[in-house]
Amino acid sequence: MTRQLYIASTTAFWLVVIGLGMTSALWNPVEQGDAQAQEKAITLAEVAKHAAPGNCWMAIRGSVYDLSAYLPAHPSPPNIVLPWCGKEATEAYNTKTKGRPHTPYADELLEKYRIGRLAKAP
Amino acid sequence: MVESSISRLRTLSLPALLVLFVGIPVFWAFPEALPFWRALGIMLGWAGAGLLLFSLLLMVREVELASRLGGLERITAWHHRTGMAAYLLLLLHPLALAAAGWAESPELAWQVISPFSENWPVWLGWAGLIFLMLGLAATFMHRLAYSTWRWLHSLLGVGVLIGFVHVLKLGISAGGLLALASAVLILLWRLLRVDLGTAAKPYIVTSVRTVAQSMVEVALKPLAMPVEAVPGQFVLTAFFRGPSYRGCGEFHPFTISGIGPEHELRIGVKALGDCTRRMQHLEPGVSARVHGPFGEFLKALPDRPLLWVAGGIGITPFIGFLRQQPVETPTTLIYFYRDDRDAAYLDELTLLSANRPGLVLRAEATGAGVPNLDRSLPGAEALANHECYVCGPPGLIDAVSRALLERSVPIERIHFEHFDFR
Repeated sequence: MTRQLYIASTTAFWLVVIGLGMTSALWNPVEQGDAQAQEKAITLAEVAKHAAPGNCWMAIRGSVYDLSAYLPAHPSPPNIVLPWCGKEATEAYNTKTKGRPHTPYADELLEKYRIGRLAKAP
Repeated sequence: MVESSISRLRTLSLPALLVLFVGIPVFWAFPEALPFWRALGIMLGWAGAGLLLFSLLLMVREVELASRLGGLERITAWHHRTGMAAYLLLLLHPLALAAAGWAESPELAWQVISPFSENWPVWLGWAGLIFLMLGLAATFMHRLAYSTWRWLHSLLGVGVLIGFVHVLKLGISAGGLLALASAVLILLWRLLRVDLGTAAKPYIVTSVRTVAQSMVEVALKPLAMPVEAVPGQFVLTAFFRGPSYRGCGEFHPFTISGIGPEHELRIGVKALGDCTRRMQHLEPGVSARVHGPFGEFLKALPDRPLLWVAGGIGITPFIGFLRQQPVETPTTLIYFYRDDRDAAYLDELTLLSANRPGLVLRAEATGAGVPNLDRSLPGAEALANHECYVCGPPGLIDAVSRALLERSVPIERIHFEHFDFR
């Protein structure tokens, strides 16, 4: 009986994983693209005005995030994160400690604070 | 009173340990203020990790510990169940984490678990899971030779270690280190004490006699401290070199068929695989190591009539018991064997039953088929108030247990041991 349970659960697991991989590959976020086109474009100059602990914006991977509400909950000490307020922080975000990127979970969390896309430099 | 509280302690010890092993990591790592699916994913990971550690602990074979936990048979069954439960939870662990990203987008859900993302924790998670998958697949291949099976089964240990390194790499230092250190300790303990035999005691073969087709009875004399066994128990024994014999050195379980005055042990060895087939040619002077004793079968018999059912080599614990002591209560021994060449100890049993008031022997040659239990087993009325002990191949144990339940024998009065520790 345990053997059948093993076979059934393992098969189901791979079906879900392969299904998810394929859905992700085939997923074409047209609507999201439209939304992105319509959303606010924020210049780096605008971002630079928000460089305080209680008013902290950062530009990461082409998007702008208002992290003021999140900063107190960030695991690193304030002196690691605060200097990046008001700046283009993609490199810092991608190379956390010892060059490691943030986890997918952090990516997911970050999305909640997104306020617009970074306007291309004129 | 004392006897019943000890037995209750034995029954409760494994569930209590299980609650501890799962409860502590889950309580310690319980996430606050996280989205539901993410929190669930983390909890599944820690519950699976706790179950894996518990399952590892159940591979340790210490005589005292095994007895406190209700016997090796029970421990092995729990090792299987908890290992399988851990595997199921750990399969769900990445899926729940992916589900947490699904609400945002399928792309994010895939990113969380994708082995193509350049991320050590995720790679290690996948590697651990795949080792568990392969190790379990091998575990279910019962036709594999025992030595191959054992090597493939140890892939599970590798999977567990990689899994805990995955926890460490996620940045969970305290929990990851503790889990990894415990797993390494338990695996080393098992390797040294059981597989390399440091828990076993040195013995030497003094005589070997054929008792049936493909079955010998081997007598062993202790070279140092003997194991303190009672008939009906079993020992894990490995045979090494003799004058012309070369043993395979693997520990296999053998039931004790007799205990001599100088702590000499006699065990029944049936050719069931490559290693035990070689043991049919054992000779006096072969060195051996004996680990045990284990097993609760026939220990502390109750004061009520007994029904003993043996199939083939399953007669060994009963002959061991009868050689050692008289039966205290009316006892019926039903002995099934294939044909006369397989009827180990039949002459001796016939003689014993003739001289022992209270012992009734019913021996039955069954041929290649399954015995007709409707005809062979006593009816429900005749079995009222009986305590039943069954030993033999798994198919026979299942069939007899079913037939006894149909005859209204309560399940707690049916005892059996499979002697299969794969």
